[in-house]
Amino acid sequence: MIFDIAHRTHYHYRSTVVQSLHLVHMSPRALPGQVIRHHSLLVEPAPASRQDGIDSFGNIDVILDIESPHKELALLARSTVEKWSPPVVDLQATTPWDALDRRLLRPENERDVQISLFRCASRLTTPTLEIADYAALSFAPARPVLDGAMDLVMRIYNDFSFDPHATDVSTPVTQVFAMRRGVCQDFAHLALACFRALRIPARYVSGYLHTHPPIGRPKLQGADASHAWISVWAPEAGWVDLDPTNGIIVGDEHVTVAFGRDYDDVSPISGVLRGGGEHTVTVGVDVNMVAASSADALNSH
Amino acid sequence: MTTAAARNEAPSSDLLSTYRRREISGFDELLDGGGGLRDHWRLLLDGLQGLSGAERELRTARLARRVRETGIAYDIFADPHTSAQRWSLDLLPIVISADEWRWLERALMQRARLFDSLLNDLYGEQRLLREGLIPSELVFSDPAYLLPCNGILPRAGGLRFYAADLARGDDGKWRVIDNHTETLAGIGFTLANRVVHTHVSGDIFNDCNARRLAPYFQELQTTLTLHSGRENARIALLTPGPHHEDYFSHAYLARYLGYLLVEGHDLKTRNGQVYLKTLEGLREIDLIIRCVEGRSCDPLELDPTGLVGPPGLLRVCRRSPHVIANAIGTALAQNRGLGPYLPGLAHHILDEDLELVDAPRLWLGSPEARHELFANPDHFTIRKAQEGTGRPGQAALGWEARALSTPEREKMKREVALHGATLVAEEKIGFSSAPVLRADGLVPKPFAVRFYVSRTESGYQVMLGGLAMSIDPKRAVALSAPDGQTRDVWVLGEGEQAPHISLWRPTFAAARVDRSQRVIQSRVADDLFWLGRYCERADWTMRVLRGALRRVEEDSGPDTGRRAARKCLEVLLGKDLSAVTGSRKTPPDEEIERLCARLIASGLGSRTLERTLDGLYRVAHLARDRLSLEAWQTLSKFRSGETWRQTLNSARPVEVLDILDEGLATLAAFNGFMHENMTRNYGWSFLDMGRRIERAQNLAEAVLTLFIPVSPDPEETSSSLLLLLELADSFITYRSRYRLDPMLPLVLDLLLLDETNPRSLAFQLSAIARHLESLPDSHQGSALPEDRRLILALLTSIRLADIEAMAREENGAMLERLLMDQLDMLPELSNEISRHYFNVMDEAPHRAHTRVGPLP
Repeated sequence: MIFDIAHRTHYHYRSTVVQSLHLVHMSPRALPGQVIRHHSLLVEPAPASRQDGIDSFGNIDVILDIESPHKELALLARSTVEKWSPPVVDLQATTPWDALDRRLLRPENERDVQISLFRCASRLTTPTLEIADYAALSFAPARPVLDGAMDLVMRIYNDFSFDPHATDVSTPVTQVFAMRRGVCQDFAHLALACFRALRIPARYVSGYLHTHPPIGRPKLQGADASHAWISVWAPEAGWVDLDPTNGIIVGDEHVTVAFGRDYDDVSPISGVLRGGGEHTVTVGVDVNMVAASSADALNSH
Repeated sequence: MTTAAARNEAPSSDLLSTYRRREISGFDELLDGGGGLRDHWRLLLDGLQGLSGAERELRTARLARRVRETGIAYDIFADPHTSAQRWSLDLLPIVISADEWRWLERALMQRARLFDSLLNDLYGEQRLLREGLIPSELVFSDPAYLLPCNGILPRAGGLRFYAADLARGDDGKWRVIDNHTETLAGIGFTLANRVVHTHVSGDIFNDCNARRLAPYFQELQTTLTLHSGRENARIALLTPGPHHEDYFSHAYLARYLGYLLVEGHDLKTRNGQVYLKTLEGLREIDLIIRCVEGRSCDPLELDPTGLVGPPGLLRVCRRSPHVIANAIGTALAQNRGLGPYLPGLAHHILDEDLELVDAPRLWLGSPEARHELFANPDHFTIRKAQEGTGRPGQAALGWEARALSTPEREKMKREVALHGATLVAEEKIGFSSAPVLRADGLVPKPFAVRFYVSRTESGYQVMLGGLAMSIDPKRAVALSAPDGQTRDVWVLGEGEQAPHISLWRPTFAAARVDRSQRVIQSRVADDLFWLGRYCERADWTMRVLRGALRRVEEDSGPDTGRRAARKCLEVLLGKDLSAVTGSRKTPPDEEIERLCARLIASGLGSRTLERTLDGLYRVAHLARDRLSLEAWQTLSKFRSGETWRQTLNSARPVEVLDILDEGLATLAAFNGFMHENMTRNYGWSFLDMGRRIERAQNLAEAVLTLFIPVSPDPEETSSSLLLLLELADSFITYRSRYRLDPMLPLVLDLLLLDETNPRSLAFQLSAIARHLESLPDSHQGSALPEDRRLILALLTSIRLADIEAMAREENGAMLERLLMDQLDMLPELSNEISRHYFNVMDEAPHRAHTRVGPLP
């Protein structure tokens, strides 16, 4: 499927921002099954300098340096992305979760550093004993890792309520766990804390979700906004994306922007400001399917 | 040598007799197993023995005083008498023989080389992880591992600074108990200890042929200049600021090396360059010596919760990796869990045996290690693998299984299983003892010692000395000495030493005559301005108090004098003027004494002497690297909790007069030091402007209080005039000029208009005008900047005043208008100067996120 994505972010500051520096992750990365046909980022006021880079995970990032005093900041990121459904995975046919160590630490093999990185707790995904206990219910001894992972994701989907008012960007995962409510970002962090308590490789994915009007099917939560989900690794299947907010295996309607250990690594925009006082931000995301496949796209042009 | 023979030979037997009676359980530095004196301590003991008991006591007391005056302390704002962190330095150093040093030096350099290679790999190719020589989880679970530094650190020129905390076990072998690869690890404390110690006991130091520290710092300076790539490099030491425990060390080192001391908000990054914000605009910085944690160096790309370093610093490092030393990310190597892996790594990386190993530890991320711990939990202490403290004496205590109940133990096991990757288990090791001086003689006391290593062009060098700390051996493995008892460390030399070189003088052959204004940060200008204001405010307040109490004490004085004093007290206490001046009643002496007590210390008043002195001490500390040592030591009297402050609060009114005299003399001495020693650069201008604005304001306010409304009583006017002359310290000037009793027009002329009297209002204003003229003007456009406009208005209004006409006027309306104008415009002037030069922001920079997820 081919999607046109428009991601608008508009800040209003109470007092003048003298100077600001922003780190932006809004440019979708190329991945197996995901091709970026077009991307642009417009910023108002115009930054004094802009540096495009690739971070340690291979994500595309931009640093914006705004030196003119401003009371508003607007960003418009537009992307055209073609996305295919990932191959179907047999969740049962994966290594038992408690045999991952043996598999990963074979003395004759080189260690896969890129996998081990995602087995470790990070600032926003540090488990507690209670979270570890919750996770353990999905991982009986010798259960295939992705089978257990999907079970855990479904339990979070069923046990937790979607509630945008319950949490904010700084709510710790322990509080999300205690309240049993939150938004996609919170559920992703909780799932990661669970996996990392068991040292199962798992990463945070930030991106967009294509949603449908409520005809016939219920409208998926997470509509018209940036979205977050997780990805779990198994030796047989590689990285498999699961969406705890919607209780599904990710198909061809999730567009990945970036992945990392947690939100800190890939937040769409974060900035350090001098001045500004309190601010309000409005974010609008539109994900429109322009064609079902490349062939359709050609026909329509 | 037999014990008996040693006793006979030792000339120091008196000092040693108590020492020998004490129980020594482990290795002792001073005595060998048979009780004989070790050879390398002999010269020190001879030297001590040569001193009388009284002289030893005197030296100990002088050391304590020097330490206090120099301000060696963890928390500089803490009350020195209540702080648990009080720093002390023993008269006895730890002595290390030349033979032993040769081994230690080699072993420490080997460790520095090892950590250097290790860091370059972990932030580069990561071969050590991929080959399984270091467990990946040990590295990736460490918050000190800064992923965005991958690829930057290996280009940054390697590990520049390393320090190791060592202890000697019962077997006589040194072991490392902690590593410091992040910052300079309190090297300034070590340097200050040595400076203080040689002031007091330099004779014995020389007799022992102990080696000096200066060559180490000279080499360090040369290396850093070369590293910066510029001959006249602008090098800055980045500190978290005065509230950090190690600030003393940072400030002391910056001053010693002649580097700028900067905080994150003094810096600005732009693309590939770091700039210092100065009064004259942005100035390039060539090299930053990092004294802040790596993870808080850049709130944009690293820890979003800390705002210590300048945002965007990492982006600069990507282009110019050499700009900061140590490179950001080096704290990873001080992870305690690495200890067990180091011998293997030394073989693998250096193809050498590791000479100096770590104290026995288990990294609890490994299942075998956890098994070992659970099998024998009483044997171990559990601690964090990464503590990130470079601060001596502040290691957190461990978690001891033997102190836990059974359910607690079960919980501990589960926590260890969950968070093992961030924990280590430590076995207790012994600490050797060495003598400290107590009233009854020498006493053995266990210790650990920190040694410092730095990179040079040809490898590494080890500082010939160190920082020793007394240890409570009952506690866990760590350089944990919460009582801050330190000792100097002397390394004995072999043969003649090179002549003494001090870095307090510049030593570069390349030094040129440079009279340009030394760069001054906007922040420092701000601090100096307030230093000037607080100094003058303290001076004025003490004069008012003294004037009032003198009038109470002199019974024979007229009541009008007491009334005048009371008015001045009340205006400082912020009471409504009109309510007081109407009163014809003679104020009882007790009332004045009550007001004085309130003006000295009251929770309510913003201008009380207590508040002013606290403010003075605080800003003096902020500007400390701009003050001479003498000037600083003078001010230490005003520190909260010092004897002078305590007596001021507890004294009876009669005694307060003496205390105030002492306080005024101290301020005069401080002002004298500043006046005689401070370069007349922009910094001086701000200090002086602060002082003059405050003085102008106090004077204008006093004249208004004392003479408006005009009193019909000539005796009252006369008393007021006498008090005013006393407050303005102009009585002698008046007498020598007029030889008359004070008369209103003459006094007003002397104190308001006379531009030759350094105490007059006009003198203050014209001095401020001259300073403002000399400052760089970044103001755009043709209009006069607001600060210049204000000073012109103030000065013109005074110069045009007709004092004789004012003195004749019965209702005093013209005088009142003149003074009210001054009192309105002076605070405005102060604000304008702040706005124009100090880069003041209503708030610190902050970080904003957007949230992922749907909007409500």
